[in-house]
Amino acid sequence: MDIDIRYKPSFATIFLTLEPGESIIAESGAMIAMDAELTMKTEFNGDFLSGILKKFFGGESLFVNRFTNPTRKSLQVVLSQSTIGDIAEAQVYENNLCFQPGAYIASTPDIKLGVRWAGLASWFSGEGLFKLQASGQGTVFFGAYGGLTTKEINGDFIVDTGHLVAYESGMKMSVKMAGGLLGSITSGEGFVNKVTGKGTIYLQSRSIDGLVQFLSSKV
Amino acid sequence: MKIELLQQPDSTIARITLNAGEEIVAEAGAMVAMSGNVQASTTLRQGKGGGIFGGLKRMIAGESLFLSVFRSPTPENTLFLAPKMLGDMLHYQMGKSGLVVQAGSYLASTPDVNIDLGFQGFKSLFSGESIFWLDMGGNGDVLLSSFGAIYEVPVKGEYIVDTGHIVAFEKSLNFEITKPPGSSWLSAFLGGEGLVCRFKGNGRLFCQTHNTTAFGQAVGTRLPPR
Repeated sequence: MDIDIRYKPSFATIFLTLEPGESIIAESGAMIAMDAELTMKTEFNGDFLSGILKKFFGGESLFVNRFTNPTRKSLQVVLSQSTIGDIAEAQVYENNLCFQPGAYIASTPDIKLGVRWAGLASWFSGEGLFKLQASGQGTVFFGAYGGLTTKEINGDFIVDTGHLVAYESGMKMSVKMAGGLLGSITSGEGFVNKVTGKGTIYLQSRSIDGLVQFLSSKV
Repeated sequence: MKIELLQQPDSTIARITLNAGEEIVAEAGAMVAMSGNVQASTTLRQGKGGGIFGGLKRMIAGESLFLSVFRSPTPENTLFLAPKMLGDMLHYQMGKSGLVVQAGSYLASTPDVNIDLGFQGFKSLFSGESIFWLDMGGNGDVLLSSFGAIYEVPVKGEYIVDTGHIVAFEKSLNFEITKPPGSSWLSAFLGGEGLVCRFKGNGRLFCQTHNTTAFGQAVGTRLPPR
């Protein structure tokens, strides 16, 4: 499988070459173009129950599409996301990866997508009660609105709500105020996430929430 | 005439250098800046694809009723054109094969390019896109715009594109609206891909990496009602 992510960071798009017999699982609606000899099969996003959970709590769709190359030559599929912005690929081995709702785009077939209880703290900070979690072995692709920055953390790290796209699942999340009560309100930071542990986190440089807030005041 | 595309792909703007007597026709509202002695006027175009019916037909296709004409009376005048949305532009040299353009992607063209309303048949009605496309022919330069980056696919045989991601294609290509290969009609809809365009033949196809409909839904559904 050859992976080429073009037009980073504003219009990142995945140009994926599948060798004979290879396949890729992609989020519903992610395919923008493909060679006509590839086949597409729609399947449940995991088993039925986790599919339902993912739809209602993980911000993902009930169905995913599997693109397979049944021929003897290399074929290409082009995948993208609905928002403009960056796309990253991550290798999943021992460390599972958790995503914010809607970030998942595609993954190799041995990746299992599940839903994980994220806790009231996560819900309180607007990140949802459940998190989408990728486990197993392989590559997973996810997207952001704005650019993606990775940060290795060891200990505590504070991230504004809406900017944490993905994190390795060994980490603990809690919610706190950015400063004191008055400071949090006046600085405009409000609540922030505190991520504790050791591993990699992925940050987006802009957030859809920020855009929605800006536009709402103009409508 | 010299056409340069700057700031590609996310904030593309076209810098057009006009010689004495040269003209360019552009979508209303596309002008960003120009030399002081460029003459701007509004037209419905005469001839093929022109007149009041041409204008009304363009409106149906999602373009503006009027077009702007920029004429350079003296040598070395500059004109800047850009679309409203973030995105890429394509400079296409109109040749023997005509070009079919997705409604809304047209930005500008030289005077010998004909713009007509193309009716791609009822098959395109079911694609969820406009049933009307712009049918361009003649000779000269065409500037198209997109939301997202534009990439070219040299189609030889068959190629599949999601209906919302087509910017333009050469008329030497045929297309049919169908379900993605290997899927049933039910799964095509459940899987969120819906209908796709299957292109056949030999020719150039231009796709956009993103589309305003999907982005509009992602943001628009969260905005308060007006």
